[in-house]
Amino acid sequence: MAPLKPGEVSMGTTIMAVQFDGGVVVGADSRTTTGTYIANRVTDKLTKVHDRIYCCRSGSAADTQAVADIVKYHLALYAAQHGEEPTVKVAASLFQEICYQNKSTLMAGIIIGGWDKVDGPSVYDIPLGGSLHKQPFALGGSGSTFIYGYCDKVYHTDMTREECIEFVKNSVSLAMTRDGSSGGVIRLAVITEDSVERMFVPGNELPSQYLG
Amino acid sequence: MSIMEYCGAAIVAMVGKDCVAIASDKRLGQQQLTVDMEFQKVFPITERTYIGLSGLATDVKTLHDRLRMRVNLYKHREERVIEPKTFTHLLSHMLYERRFGSYFISPVVAGLDKNNRPYICALDTIGCIDSSSDFVVCGTAATNLYGACESLWEPDLGPEELFETISQTLLSSIDRDAMSGWGAVVHIITPSGVITRDLKSRMD
Amino acid sequence: MSPILESAAGFKFDNVKRNQLLSEKGNAAPRATKTGTTIVGLIFKDGIILGADTRATSGPIVADKNCEKIHYLAPNMYCCGAGTAADTEFTTSMASSQLALHSLNTGREARVATAMTMLKQYLFRYQGHIGAYLVLGGYDVTGPHLYTIHAHGSTDKLPFVTMGSGSLAAMSVFESRWRAGLSREEGIELVKDAIEAGIFNDLGSGSNVDVCVITRNNVEYLRNYVMPNERVEKEQSYKFAPGTTEFIVPKPPATLSGEEEGTAMDVSA
Repeated sequence: MAPLKPGEVSMGTTIMAVQFDGGVVVGADSRTTTGTYIANRVTDKLTKVHDRIYCCRSGSAADTQAVADIVKYHLALYAAQHGEEPTVKVAASLFQEICYQNKSTLMAGIIIGGWDKVDGPSVYDIPLGGSLHKQPFALGGSGSTFIYGYCDKVYHTDMTREECIEFVKNSVSLAMTRDGSSGGVIRLAVITEDSVERMFVPGNELPSQYLG
Repeated sequence: MSIMEYCGAAIVAMVGKDCVAIASDKRLGQQQLTVDMEFQKVFPITERTYIGLSGLATDVKTLHDRLRMRVNLYKHREERVIEPKTFTHLLSHMLYERRFGSYFISPVVAGLDKNNRPYICALDTIGCIDSSSDFVVCGTAATNLYGACESLWEPDLGPEELFETISQTLLSSIDRDAMSGWGAVVHIITPSGVITRDLKSRMD
Repeated sequence: MSPILESAAGFKFDNVKRNQLLSEKGNAAPRATKTGTTIVGLIFKDGIILGADTRATSGPIVADKNCEKIHYLAPNMYCCGAGTAADTEFTTSMASSQLALHSLNTGREARVATAMTMLKQYLFRYQGHIGAYLVLGGYDVTGPHLYTIHAHGSTDKLPFVTMGSGSLAAMSVFESRWRAGLSREEGIELVKDAIEAGIFNDLGSGSNVDVCVITRNNVEYLRNYVMPNERVEKEQSYKFAPGTTEFIVPKPPATLSGEEEGTAMDVSA
């Protein structure tokens, strides 16, 4: 777990992914910082690594972009060589391999979400050390600490697609108000067998909540 | 103390009308101790391209030797004399090659190209070229030289005028730098040849 | 190693141990020329406009009052550089030659995304030790593209960007006045104002404004587009009277660094 180098671009970040029957909702804030300066206020931290597999990136921007690019390459190669789509598990294992083997030099916390025809929808979490956890929902980034309690209370296993979208919007919004390293807009992606639907909530249309 | 200030130096190059001048002091020191009063810091590379090397003396010698080899190789391979701008890029690449373990050298190049156009430039320790149309400086007296040059230099000076201006600039600057001085040498490069003069200066 | 083979590719590390020893003995390493810098880029109606100031600094000293920070990458691509001057210079020139070979091999014009990927992968390999902070802009078969590339290898794709020590001043201008569909004239004016905000409010930036307008089939490099800091002419001449400086002509003239025709090679120091 290499600390951030001086002047390195970091994604303070709130990211999350939730599984529902038939798909996965992934969500993230949009803030990228260098120290206290916001280098990008409309970042897309939801990165497509294959047709139905997305990853949410947190930690060093450079490290997570590099890792995502490598995984994207391997998944494309896998699809071409095997003549079938890779599963989310394969993608998650690739991420884990890279994150674990290079744990001393990387600063990357990644959540993988997607749909495949073997397992249906699934969510995997790879925190800093490079371990791999399959979870019904996952939180990540500095903002996640503020919303674990909220998420544990609100989440239930039989949520619908719409409930999941609202859950992600509300959770990320709460984290964004309390975490200085998270902010901007909320970006979402709903990944199902048939489509990937990208959504976005502008900063002035966040769910209503107590703002002090 | 920075290793760049260990030996002491004052080097300046100026553009004149169809001529360039390059001048340096002659002191070699180990911090405050003066070791040599005839230390060469400006070297001819071709008949009309000169280089001034300020910084750590061991690197001055090493780099000059390596440059000599590369320039001779160029002459044999290309069957022509290297142009000042080409030489500068050769030097720049040699310095950047050691980006992560650099020579402690900050060079100045002065010369006339094949069309007799003046060319001067300075480089940093890792080979960044700072080309200029008026003057360039380097060494421990760089700050002094910058000030003196900014007020004394003017465009279109003839060889003799340029000699007076660069000499007075150098002498004024080394009078207020304890690390450089002890004699000075000036080369004025003109289309008809190089004039080299040793200046009378304070020896303290 | 044979000296003839000295030009093997890649960096050399033979001075590293010595330099480490010297710095352990308390001799600080020299500082490289930095470009304090304000560099910017924006997307306008017909393409990309890049802008840069022209000051290079070495610590508190202005090393170059009119340097060029907008580097050529390919006929349809230019790149502004901030950070360590030598790194931006060499990184962009290496990318430029690779792009030239790439388009010769493919028979196509190189894409901006290709240049961006090459630069980010190169910089990521060096983990931030190559201090090049870049604003990359270009127009290719897929349209106009604008990226920032940080020294550690992260990239951002945005409609308006700023970098360098003056980036905050420049960004405040962009944030208040940029909009989609700016005209060429409005775009150039906005870029000029953003760079001037850096020149006048950031100590690391100064001198003149360089602008580069990249459109579908055309590039306009407006070197020193405005010069708001020209020095007033000196009222009097400081020429010295002939004979002011006392000198002697040294006996042996300086030896040339090569062998003379018909004489043995000069092997003296």
